[in-house]
Amino acid sequence: MTVQPTPSAPTLPSNLLTGSIADESILVRSRGVTKRFGGLTAVNNVDFDIPRGAIVSLIGPNGAGKTTFFNMITGSYIPTSGDITFDGTPIVRMAGKKAKSLKPHEVTKLGIGRTFQNIRLFGTMSALDNVRVGANVHLTSHWWDSIIRTPGMLREEQATIDSSMELLKLVDLDTRADTWARNLPYGDQRRLEIARALATRPKLLLLDEPTAGMNSSETRALTDFIRRLRTEFGLSVLLIEHDMRVVMGISDRVTVLDHGEVIAEGSPAEVRANPRVIEAYLGRDAAEAEAEA
Amino acid sequence: MDQIIQTLIIGLANGLIYALVALGYTLVYGIIELINFAHGDVFMLGSMLAYVLIAPPSSGGWGIFSIEAGTPLPQLIVQILIVLAICMVSMSTLNWFIERVAYRPLRHAPKLAPLITAIGVSFILQNVGLILGGAYQRTVDSVFPTDNLLAPLGITNIVLTASQVFVAVVTIPLLVALSWFVGKTRQGRAMRATAQDPDTAGLMGVDVNRTIAITFVIGGALAGAAGLVQILYNNYTVYTLGFRFGLNSFTAAVLGGIGNLQGAVLGALVIGEINAISDRYISPNWTQAIVFGVLIAVLVFKPTGLLGQQLADRA
Amino acid sequence: MSSATKVIGTGPGAWFGFIGSTLASYPGRYRASYHRRRRRTILLTLLVVGTLIYPIVHSVLLAGFSRNVLPLPLPDDTVMTFMTIFAIMSIGLNIVAGFAGLLDLGYVAFYAIGAYVAAFLASPHFGQFGINLVFLGHVGPGAVGIHLPFWIVAIVAIIVVATFGALLGAPTLRLRGDYLAIVTLGFGEIVPLFFKNLSSLTISFALGPLLINVSNVNLTGGVQGINPIDPPFLPILDVLFDARSGPLAVYLGMFLVTIAIVVARNLDLSRMGRAWGAIREDETAAEMMGVNTVRTKLLAFALGASFAGVAGAFQASYLGATTSDFFDFSISILVLIMVILGGIGNVWGALAGAVMLVYVDKTLLPYVSQRIGDVAPTLPNPAQYNFLIYGVLLVVMMRFRPQGFLPSRQREAELSVHGLADADAQMGVVGEFDNVGVAPPGQDETGADSRSAETPDESRHL
Repeated sequence: MTVQPTPSAPTLPSNLLTGSIADESILVRSRGVTKRFGGLTAVNNVDFDIPRGAIVSLIGPNGAGKTTFFNMITGSYIPTSGDITFDGTPIVRMAGKKAKSLKPHEVTKLGIGRTFQNIRLFGTMSALDNVRVGANVHLTSHWWDSIIRTPGMLREEQATIDSSMELLKLVDLDTRADTWARNLPYGDQRRLEIARALATRPKLLLLDEPTAGMNSSETRALTDFIRRLRTEFGLSVLLIEHDMRVVMGISDRVTVLDHGEVIAEGSPAEVRANPRVIEAYLGRDAAEAEAEA
Repeated sequence: MDQIIQTLIIGLANGLIYALVALGYTLVYGIIELINFAHGDVFMLGSMLAYVLIAPPSSGGWGIFSIEAGTPLPQLIVQILIVLAICMVSMSTLNWFIERVAYRPLRHAPKLAPLITAIGVSFILQNVGLILGGAYQRTVDSVFPTDNLLAPLGITNIVLTASQVFVAVVTIPLLVALSWFVGKTRQGRAMRATAQDPDTAGLMGVDVNRTIAITFVIGGALAGAAGLVQILYNNYTVYTLGFRFGLNSFTAAVLGGIGNLQGAVLGALVIGEINAISDRYISPNWTQAIVFGVLIAVLVFKPTGLLGQQLADRA
Repeated sequence: MSSATKVIGTGPGAWFGFIGSTLASYPGRYRASYHRRRRRTILLTLLVVGTLIYPIVHSVLLAGFSRNVLPLPLPDDTVMTFMTIFAIMSIGLNIVAGFAGLLDLGYVAFYAIGAYVAAFLASPHFGQFGINLVFLGHVGPGAVGIHLPFWIVAIVAIIVVATFGALLGAPTLRLRGDYLAIVTLGFGEIVPLFFKNLSSLTISFALGPLLINVSNVNLTGGVQGINPIDPPFLPILDVLFDARSGPLAVYLGMFLVTIAIVVARNLDLSRMGRAWGAIREDETAAEMMGVNTVRTKLLAFALGASFAGVAGAFQASYLGATTSDFFDFSISILVLIMVILGGIGNVWGALAGAVMLVYVDKTLLPYVSQRIGDVAPTLPNPAQYNFLIYGVLLVVMMRFRPQGFLPSRQREAELSVHGLADADAQMGVVGEFDNVGVAPPGQDETGADSRSAETPDESRHL
C-alpha cells in the first residue's frame, strides 16, 4: 500500500444535511435507514452523512443501534428500508417495498474496511497471512493462475507480501509477522485487525470500539494513529466509541444514537452540551444538573 | 381408484413405522443438534433381535417365542407384548450406551465431529447386523391371518389386513404416549428446555446429561418397537435395512420440520405415501432416488420443513 | 502456511528444490539445522526412490517369492494402482474438506461420473446408437463407438465433473455443515442410482409435430455396465497401461498423483488457500474482508470434485470396464477416512492416508484373513468385516485424534484434543455479530477459542 500525500483535512461545511453541497465531498450518504428485527426496531429512520476525509464518531448508550448501523453500511444486514450511497455508488437501494443491498464483499471492494467490536481475526493464521487475506480483494490473478503459478501471479504474491509487511510495520507488528494471530497480546490483535482492514485499500474505515480494553497510553497511541490515517492516507473514518476522551479529542463530527434514532449531531462541543444527549446517557436528573458528559 | 386407496393404505402402514423411527431422529436433533446417523441401524438391530427371538431354529433364529400363525389370540398378544418389551428395552439400552460412549465426549467438539462419529457407529451396528443375520434377507412367516377385514363390508377390491391394523395398534399408542410425555411431564419439560438452551437449562437445575440420555433412551425404545413391527408386518429384515429406513425416516423428520414432533409424524406419513406411490406407479428402482430428491429439495428450499421448529427455536 | 518474506519459486523448480535444497545449501550458513535437514532430506529421498522402484522390484522379485516361498503381505500391482487412484481422490477431498472445511459425504458421485465419462468416450458403447468417432484412439479398424485417447478423456472428465460439482454446490453450499453433508450424501446416492437405472430407458412423448420415441435404450449399461473400455495408451512406445500391464499402470498412476499433489499444494500456497483458511476460521469476517465466500467455496467444491473425476476415468480405463456396482456410499466414507486418518488439511497426510488404508483394505486384511483361514477356518473373516474395523477406527479417531496423524498446523490447532478439552461451549444462540472468539489478554496456544457453529452464519469446521 503506497503512502499517498494528502491535502490537509478539508474544512467541513456547516449545513451538511441540506444537500446543498456537491456530492463529491460526501463519502457516505444514508437516508431513512431503518432496521426492524421482528417486533424490535433497532434503527429508526436515520439520516447520516460522512464527509470525505472526516473523522466521524457514532456514540450512544448500549443497544442504541450503532453496530447495527455499521452492519448495514457494510452490507451484512439488509435494512428494512432506506438508501445508502458510498462515493456515488448505491450500497442499499429500495426496490419497490423491499431494500436491496450489496453483498459484504462487494462493499469491501468498493472501499469500505472495518474492524469488529469483538476481535474477529483468523486465529490460526499468522499475522502476515491475516493481512494478506485483506489484500486478496484487489488481486487480479485467478484460480488457474494459482494452479500453474504464472509469473504474473508470483509477482502479485510477492507484492502482497511486501505491501502487507509494510502495513504490519505501520502498526508495529512487523517483528511478529509469523506469529499466529491468536497468540498475540490483546493490544496487538486490535492493531492487527486495523492492518487487515487497511489491506483492503479502503476509502472509509469503520472502527467498532477500537480502544476497548486499552489503557490510556495505548488509547493515546491509537488516537494518534487514527489521525495519521486521515492525514497520511486520506482515509475517512467512522468510529463507534464509548471513550469520550477519544470521541471529543479526535472527531470532526459526532452523531448520537439512542434507541435507534439520531438525537443529536454536530461538533463534539455542541454534542457534549446537548441536554438530550446527557439525558440519554445519564438520565434526566443529570441532564438537569448539567453534569459533564 | 381402488388401486389408489390400496396404495395409500400400504403407505400409511409403512408411514407409521417410519414415524416411530423419525421421532428418534427429531428428538435427538432437537436436543443436541446431531444428525444421529446410526439411528436407522438401531432400528435394524431391533428388527434383528425380534427376528432372532421369533424365528424358529430352522430359519436361524432362537425360536424362544413361537409367534406363528394359528396361535390363539390371547397367547399371541402376550407373546407379542413380551417381545415388544424386550426389543424396546434392549434398543433403548443400546442407544443409551452409544450416547454415553461415542457422543457425550464430543459434546463440545466442532459440530461435524459427532456426525462423523455417528457414521462410524452406523458402520459398527451394520456389521453387527451382518454377523447376526448374515448377508441376505431373513424372513419370517406371516403371523396374522391374511383375510381382508373389509370383506364383511362388501368391499373386495381394497384389502385391509389384520397386520396393518396391528401396526396402527402398536404405533399410535406409542405416539400418543410420547406426545404426552414431552408435553406434560416434568422430564418432558426438561427436554424442551435443554433443546432450547442447554446451558441455561443447566443453570435452572436441569440435569442436562441425564436429560440427553433419556432422550436417547426414548429414541431407542421407539426404534426397538419399530423393529418388532417391521418383522411382524413386513416379515423381513436385513443388515442394510437401517440405511433405507433411516433415509426415509430422516427425510420425514426434515420434511416435517426437524425438532418438531408432530412434524416428524406428519412427514413420516407423507414419506410413507410417497414410497408406496413410487413403488407402485413408477418403479421401486427409483424410489430411493425420489426420497433423496425430496430430502435435498426440502433442505435447499425450506430447511425448516413443513411445520417449522417447535422443540427448539433453532434452525 | 506462512511463507515469511519470500515467495516460493516457480513450480517444477521449487519441486525439485524440495529434495535437493539441503544438498546444495551452504553448510556454513545453516550449520545448526543443517544436519537435521540433511538427515530428513536423505530419508525423504530414500522414500521417494524406494517408492519409484518398488513396482519393478515387486513384479520381478517379490511376487515370486511371496507366491512360492513365504507369503508376504505385499501390495501387488493392482493394489498399488488403486493406491494411486485413491490418493488422487484423497487429495481432492482434502481440498474440499481439509482446506475449505466443507464436509462432502457424496464424493463417490464424482468418481462415478468420471468413470462413466471414460466409459462413454473410450468404448464401443455408443456404437449401438450409431455414433462412431475415433480420434487418436488406440483401436483397430472397424471399431464402433467413440474412442478418444486417455488424456482427452481425463480432461473431459475434469470439465464434466467440475460442472456437476458447481451445479450441486451452487444451491447447497450456503447450508450449514451437517445439512450440507446430508445433501452431498444424497447426491452421492442418486448419481449411481441413475447410472444403474438408465439401462433401459423408455421415453415416448409428442412435442407438437415432433414425436420423440425412445424405447429400451441402454444408456448407461446398468448393473452389467460398460465394457470393454480402452486402456490408456502411449503411441510412441506402444504401451498399454491397463490391468494386464503390471507395474506400468502403477507408474502412470504415480504420475497422475504427482500432478495432483502439485496442483493441491499450489492452490494451498496461493490466495485461494488463504481465502479457504479464512472462510474456515470465520466465514463472516472473511466475507467482510472482501472474500467472495460463495464463489470461493464453490471453487473448492468443484476443483476438489474434478480430482475424483480423473481418478474415476483412470480407474475405468485401467480396469477396462465399469458398472454401477462399483460406486456406493462406502467409497465416499473410505476416502473421507483416508483424509481424516492421514491428517486433515495436509496434502501429504491425504496421500499417506490413502496408501495406508488401501494397503490395509486390499492387502493386509485379506492376508490376515487367509492366514486365519488356514489355521482356524471357523473364525470370522476380518476382510469381510472391514467396515466394522473402519467404524471403530472412525469413532476412536474422532474421540482421541480428530485431526489425524499428519494434519496441517492450522487444522491441528483447531481440532486437537487440547483445544477441544479447553473450549467452552457458547452460551445460547450467538447473534451474527456477537461475542465470537475474543482472545483475552495473555491466552496461550492450548486455550483454543470455541466456535461451535450455533447459527447458520458462523464458520463451519470439520
